[in-house]
Amino acid sequence: MAKRLSAEQRRASIIEVAKRLFATKGFHGVSIDEIVREVGVSPAILYRHFASKEDLYQAVLQEFSCTRESYVETVVEDDISFEKVLRGMTRVFVNSIVKDPDLLKMEMHSQLEGSQASQDFFLNRWKSFTDYIEYNLSELQANDKIENINVRAAGLMYQGMIRELLLLKCMHANDRFKETHIDQLVNELVDLFMKIISIKNQG
Amino acid sequence: MSFDAELDAKGLNCPLPILRAKKAIAQLDGGQVLKIVATDPGSVKDFEAFCKQTGNELMSSTEADGAFEFMIKKSA
Repeated sequence: MAKRLSAEQRRASIIEVAKRLFATKGFHGVSIDEIVREVGVSPAILYRHFASKEDLYQAVLQEFSCTRESYVETVVEDDISFEKVLRGMTRVFVNSIVKDPDLLKMEMHSQLEGSQASQDFFLNRWKSFTDYIEYNLSELQANDKIENINVRAAGLMYQGMIRELLLLKCMHANDRFKETHIDQLVNELVDLFMKIISIKNQG
Repeated sequence: MSFDAELDAKGLNCPLPILRAKKAIAQLDGGQVLKIVATDPGSVKDFEAFCKQTGNELMSSTEADGAFEFMIKKSA
């Protein structure tokens, strides 16, 4: 790479390459040497931008959180319900991962080998769903709109459903739902979840 | 800065702080102010977008001790 890049562009290009490598091989599977070779710079240049491999990994995560999906659109509408917001949030989240599955791959690697900090980072993204579900189901329960259920377990169940959907659509070579578009699968899973919750006199 | 209602959204991830703020604002009269305290760093961008889209005024957005404080004035 003979092109001269500004410091900012150089930093961005290192992050881009590191992201791809961390997603394919995990944190421990990639060396600084490999990253600089792919970027086409010397180690000295990389260390000018990042103090260590950990530092670079955190910068990649930081990059993801800057472009994090926004749920604001989904909730500002006038006519919202628990179901409508849940569906909207899920669609936004799922589509952002489908567009850039590297984050999901890094999350899978981090489950096995990651530091506490990186595991917290990934957990925090799911917390948007579990918080939303727990809070709203507790409220529905308090208003006698749903039967007594374990709302935390409901949040966990939802997280499991969506994570498995993403694994299927982003990582499995053999997608047994090939015929079904991911948006349709999201809708069907939300339908199933709502049936289980079964809110009284809805609609 | 004075306010008319306060919402504690600490420890909650977006979109919950936004949703709860929306509900709290619905209870206010035009011109009244809601104070929100949140800990999700994403809430800074989210409350900006929320106010832009709803026409309520984001009077201030500050950070102290890992908590984010927002003052939102309901549109008249």
